[in-house]
Amino acid sequence: MNRTTALSALLTAALTLVPGSLLAQEADAEEALAQLRASATVESIEIVPATFRLTRGDTVTMEGFLKDADGNRVEGARWGIGSDDSVFDVDAIKDSIPDTYLVWGTGPGEAVMSVWILRPDSEDPDNPASTNWERQFDIEVVVDEWPAASIEIDAPEYAANVGATFPIRAAVLTDRGTKHATAELAWSSDNPDVLAISHDGVASFRAVGRATLRVRSEGLEQSRTVEVTASPVRSLAMMPTGASVRTGDVVQLEPAVLDASSNAVQGVHIAYLVNAIAGPSGGGTVYDDGAFVAEMPGTYQVVAMVDGQSASTIVSASARPEVKPITLLGRGPVPHVATSDLWVFEGVDGRDYAYTGTHAQGGGERMFVWDVTDPASPVLTDSVVVDARVVNDVKVTDDAMVAVITREGASDRKNGMVLLDLSDPAHPKILSEFNENLTGGVHNTWIIGDVVYAVNDGTNALNIVDISDPANPKDLGFWEVRPGEEDKNLHDVWADDQGLAYLSYWDDGLVILDVGNGIKGGTAREPKFVSSYAYQTRHGGTYGNTHTAYRWENYVFLGDEIFGCGECVNGPRGYIHVIDVSDLENPKEVAFYKVPEAGAHNIWVENGRLYIGYYQAGLRVVDVTGQLRGDLYAQGRQIGWYETTGAEDEAIVPNATNAWGPHVYKGNIFVADNNSGLWVVKPEWNPELVP
Amino acid sequence: MTLRAVRFGLVSALFAAAACGGRQMDVGSTPVAAVAREAAPAPEADYWVFVANESSDLVSLVRFGPGGAVLERDIKVDLKPADLDGVHGVAVSPDGKHLYVTVAHGTPFGYLWKLDPWTGERVGETTLGRFPATIGIVPDGSRAFIVNFNLHGRPVPSSVSAVFLPAMNEEKQIETCVKPHGSRLNLAGTRAYSVCVGDDQLVEISVDRLAVTRRLDLNSVTEGRCGPTWITPSADDAHLFVACNKLGQVLELDADSFEVVRRLTAGKGTYNLAASRNGRFLLATNKGEQSVSVFDLTAGKEVARLSTTRPVTHGVVISPDDRYAFVSNESIGAVPGTVDVIDLGSLERVASVEVRLQAGGIDFWRMENSEGH
Repeated sequence: MNRTTALSALLTAALTLVPGSLLAQEADAEEALAQLRASATVESIEIVPATFRLTRGDTVTMEGFLKDADGNRVEGARWGIGSDDSVFDVDAIKDSIPDTYLVWGTGPGEAVMSVWILRPDSEDPDNPASTNWERQFDIEVVVDEWPAASIEIDAPEYAANVGATFPIRAAVLTDRGTKHATAELAWSSDNPDVLAISHDGVASFRAVGRATLRVRSEGLEQSRTVEVTASPVRSLAMMPTGASVRTGDVVQLEPAVLDASSNAVQGVHIAYLVNAIAGPSGGGTVYDDGAFVAEMPGTYQVVAMVDGQSASTIVSASARPEVKPITLLGRGPVPHVATSDLWVFEGVDGRDYAYTGTHAQGGGERMFVWDVTDPASPVLTDSVVVDARVVNDVKVTDDAMVAVITREGASDRKNGMVLLDLSDPAHPKILSEFNENLTGGVHNTWIIGDVVYAVNDGTNALNIVDISDPANPKDLGFWEVRPGEEDKNLHDVWADDQGLAYLSYWDDGLVILDVGNGIKGGTAREPKFVSSYAYQTRHGGTYGNTHTAYRWENYVFLGDEIFGCGECVNGPRGYIHVIDVSDLENPKEVAFYKVPEAGAHNIWVENGRLYIGYYQAGLRVVDVTGQLRGDLYAQGRQIGWYETTGAEDEAIVPNATNAWGPHVYKGNIFVADNNSGLWVVKPEWNPELVP
Repeated sequence: MTLRAVRFGLVSALFAAAACGGRQMDVGSTPVAAVAREAAPAPEADYWVFVANESSDLVSLVRFGPGGAVLERDIKVDLKPADLDGVHGVAVSPDGKHLYVTVAHGTPFGYLWKLDPWTGERVGETTLGRFPATIGIVPDGSRAFIVNFNLHGRPVPSSVSAVFLPAMNEEKQIETCVKPHGSRLNLAGTRAYSVCVGDDQLVEISVDRLAVTRRLDLNSVTEGRCGPTWITPSADDAHLFVACNKLGQVLELDADSFEVVRRLTAGKGTYNLAASRNGRFLLATNKGEQSVSVFDLTAGKEVARLSTTRPVTHGVVISPDDRYAFVSNESIGAVPGTVDVIDLGSLERVASVEVRLQAGGIDFWRMENSEGH
């Protein structure tokens, strides 16, 4: 049965139900009917302009003219457009001009706009619900970059000595001062016998003399004259010599570059390459700063080249010690509801407890209380029920007197968080609820002293809450990136005892705040921005998706979470980025840990070991002692794993690993698995791995 | 009994307690005013409705027929299984060929998904604003007007997204008011209405011009704060019904003048509305008291207040033949929501079926008799 009243019927109703008082409704119904009938006469549509080539940021007004079979214009018929929003956007401006859109270029490139018209049903022409929308044709939209205005060629980054080879940097700038996104550079040298340059700007300094480099692009030209000088380098030696390491251990090469007086030469370009003598080709990597790391056992010759001279050293890499299995110690199965985060601690009664949250599947309204004093036999002692469908996070204060649990999906849509009195930690009691400015829900929290940092689902800010009187929490305000802008997403917060907080701000990446460190004058109650690091992870597309962060020594371990990507055939993707924060104000990514075909989730780092709840890949443990560089997985730094796979009757989703997060406590690893509850596993570390 | 068995026993007991929750789930019906009622005959056709389960990220398909109401299947609307994506609004295209759902929580913007109602396959999507909620679709299926509720954001004006549905292109975000909710079109398809929970406005948008044409400060026509949550036109487009959530009242306004024609007293927390096509009934869900008010518009009276099977009564939709109303109940916590079926002849609840967590937005898909029509 057709669910929609035909417009003609509506018109009839408008005229008969309450005669004499329905002028506006008559007009509306007549207008709608007229549009349908007009649409029935449409044969074609003409878009003006017919082609779209515009400059980034510029706008073009677009009009559509509908025509009947005789080419006469049809007024009042319906049409529409589609756009993929990749390089242009479209905004209807029908409030001022009928059938008009504004098209503006958002970025350089090419994309397609589709044009659609309404086709009424010939059998039932007055019935709006019996119509078809036909895609008539597509229009290519070309968006050009802002015009190129200048070319800048940098001075050579290193000494222009005979024998050196390194790239010269140049950029085309637009008339807005931005770097041109599509310009291609054409390099040339007026004296290639002195200075030759490749098409992509790699300079080879061949003889003493002067040469002028020219760059042409977008109708512009720029030049830079370079004096090529004789190399002062007289000797080159590689240090250290004969290094013997394990895969994954970083060898910092320090070539001794000396002049005729045996003084160190500064400012020269050092090029490195690695040659596998015994072992797989590609089994080792040397970086521009001279850091070498082997992924595979073997013998590697690492060569340094300076101004045409070379020297090498041999690095022998052996396999890292054999990994011993992690074994199951105890289980706390949760078969009726999904499990979320956990916290393990010693209660005020001297016994050990694990608190686990619950997620939506099965109804996440509860926090479970496990006595894990005997970790081999977790005992469920109680649970706390709150008005929620997800209790995503659980945290406990340092004095073990108060727990903070988060709420999402509350029936009154006032989520926020709930504070628990842990005087009797086996049977916690609700002490207070706090949702001021947090009604949208709290996804994660972190506690420093009597301050709680709460991830605000509603505003994507970090809210700061005073719990010095836990029965009466107080709102202390909030901190957010890019204040006033909506396009941001805060997912997690973690802080260390150095007074620094690490925020996982999705596409804004890692944000470091001073929450008492003093580097920027911040306090726990008034955080100050220190630095940030945003990145793109490629998994069939571009993502940031910074999901969680945890600092240990000079590194922040940053996990991203990617659902729904093209290759997510067996679940999520995402991995651990290792960020060197030894210079807090200039974080840089130096390494990564990536389990193939799986996605990282929550992490814990302790005593040089990185523990990851790696969703479908279970618990993973990585040796992160010493200097880190490159692909930690390929280097064999993974030192343990355990599949937290619940059997039938012990899991809400049996036979499917879904490790959510780890917590290391008193030598054991407690793992929450989203599908199956609490796991306690016991590592047996190889002594050689102890940092 | 082994220690393992003891542990499992305790777990089971706790889980059993969780399942009951000690919550009241059902009470009887309360007649409010005398009305001619018919005995409730069994339905002669099958009726299908979709309901969005906000805390399960599932859209349930419910079938009500001669054998009662059953949950036919669920469609997964789940971007990030580790988070609640918050499927909120649901609307079926006028021709029944597509199902549209709003996904409230993106990173940070929400989405409109276009699904094949037969297979559940996603066939299109577009990004909207913050916390998109109710969907209104014009009769020819070309455009949707979706309120960007931004319920938990800062109290600043939000917008209504106009989406060209054949191409799933968001044409415009039309700024309206604070926390817009309850998007509905007039039957002519010329005006889109919504109300604003945050600043108590009624907003009218011209469908052709994609611009706000009129506003009404609802507090200027009420005694006390209205707190509007829903608006729907009457069957003849002559009137508008506005749910004043904070007053437990439905305002009937003249659609031309915005003058109040009648004030209908409903229950606590009046929330969503649906008007029958024959012009006789208006139904209002009472979110705060687990009930539905049935108004006879001819008499201007509440003729029944029917309790629902679970608390936090949310959405309501009436079948095209005006025989049945389908009501969603969110419920609380781990207790699943329900869809109740009300016979509009007998004014009785004649069926109910449990769906998933936090059942909210609801829309009618199709009906079919034994001959398959």
